[in-house]
Amino acid sequence: MTTLLELKEKIVRFYGKNEVFITPVIRFLIAFAVFMSINSRIGYMKSITRTPVALILALLCSVFPANCMIFLASAVILAQMYALSLEVCAVTLVLFVLVYLLYFRFVPKNGYGVLLTPLCFQLHVPYMMPMGLGLVREVYSVFAMICGTVVYFFLNGVRENAPVLSGTGGEEDAAVSKIVVILNQLIGNKEMYLVLGVMAATLVVVYVIRRMSIEYAWTVAIVSGILFQSVGLIAGYLLLGITGKTYEVLIGNGVACLAAFFLQFVFFNLDYSRTERLQFEDDEYYYYVKAVPKAFVPGTDKKVKRFGRDEERLSKKQFAREMDIDEDWLE
Amino acid sequence: MVNEERLRHMIKISGFDTNDGKACRPMMQYARKDYISLQLLRSFVTGTICFGLVLGLWGVYSMEKLMKQINSMDLKEFITTLLMFYGGFMLVYLTSTCIVFHVKYTAGRRKVKRYYSSLRKINRMYEREERLKMPGDTDRE
Repeated sequence: MTTLLELKEKIVRFYGKNEVFITPVIRFLIAFAVFMSINSRIGYMKSITRTPVALILALLCSVFPANCMIFLASAVILAQMYALSLEVCAVTLVLFVLVYLLYFRFVPKNGYGVLLTPLCFQLHVPYMMPMGLGLVREVYSVFAMICGTVVYFFLNGVRENAPVLSGTGGEEDAAVSKIVVILNQLIGNKEMYLVLGVMAATLVVVYVIRRMSIEYAWTVAIVSGILFQSVGLIAGYLLLGITGKTYEVLIGNGVACLAAFFLQFVFFNLDYSRTERLQFEDDEYYYYVKAVPKAFVPGTDKKVKRFGRDEERLSKKQFAREMDIDEDWLE
Repeated sequence: MVNEERLRHMIKISGFDTNDGKACRPMMQYARKDYISLQLLRSFVTGTICFGLVLGLWGVYSMEKLMKQINSMDLKEFITTLLMFYGGFMLVYLTSTCIVFHVKYTAGRRKVKRYYSSLRKINRMYEREERLKMPGDTDRE
């Protein structure tokens, strides 16, 4: 544990020293992952579905805030949808306006929540998002997660129905039927409602418990969140009659649990064995204060004392005399 | 010589100015009630636009069904149902607005308090330094 704490301190110091370089690199990596994910799943416009384009866009995003990344990702998605079908592009545009109204109204600073949610869905570990956001962000970051989830299910629906949606046919009926097909992915998608409901509730549960004034609040929050999420999703899938999801839910929640404990180690590592309970008063109040110190190992203040130098080494004779034993015993 | 404590407070207020200053400005200007009322008003507009868009999408989605029933439809009942949906949607949307901006106001207010506390301390330090510079000062002892 001490080694881990030392490592954490070293990483924190390293980040503090090189923040100017590390932050853009992280932004670049996230943006690159987002654009590559879009290209791999819905790459219908060949001219922009190229790695160099993704690299250039990711480089742009590395120097701009997360909201710029959202705008660029939306623009790329719209272009891909336009290449697939004009009707799908129109519906996507309306959906994005809805998402923006929700996102910029409530959580304009939670851009990474919106971007990482579809990415985690693609990596089959979306259950990390409610745990992570519930632990380190405010409760209203649930809106960012909702936006990301809706966009993922919408794009997934487009991908699954791409052959139908790309079919040519200038008839008005064909256009309407395309819109109906694509809207059906949103309005009639019961799995999306289930995942949205359970993940949003999990985020709120995790947030409420970790803010409680109880010992090991974060651990309790993580365990409760994982249990709630696993049971909720498995029960929901059973009710909806969707099969083959149990292992995915269990493994995904296992990974989410590990990620959540990692976050706890990084952001909330307390040493409960040194808890202090203080009591004092002023003119108006009595104060009952519980102070829990952070587990901390100062890396630079370590003093290394060397033992075992030749000139200081105890001779067997000396050691035997000090221990009051026969020197032969030490052979 | 650099006053380290003052420097610490100055870094704090500079951090606030750069990161949270703009977002926390309404917390300095409005009382909680006024702030939430203003946000409710804004949410009323955005919520109505959202509902309009959702209604439009639903209209296209159910166009075939609507076309079939348009002649036999009880228009009064249809509009009442729509209004009820609108009311329900706005209730959820405005309640969410209330909760979110209540939390935001509390958090922002805490930051503003910390900002002014640092500002006060810096001010006191400057005043003390000024007094020390003046001749015949008694605070020197």
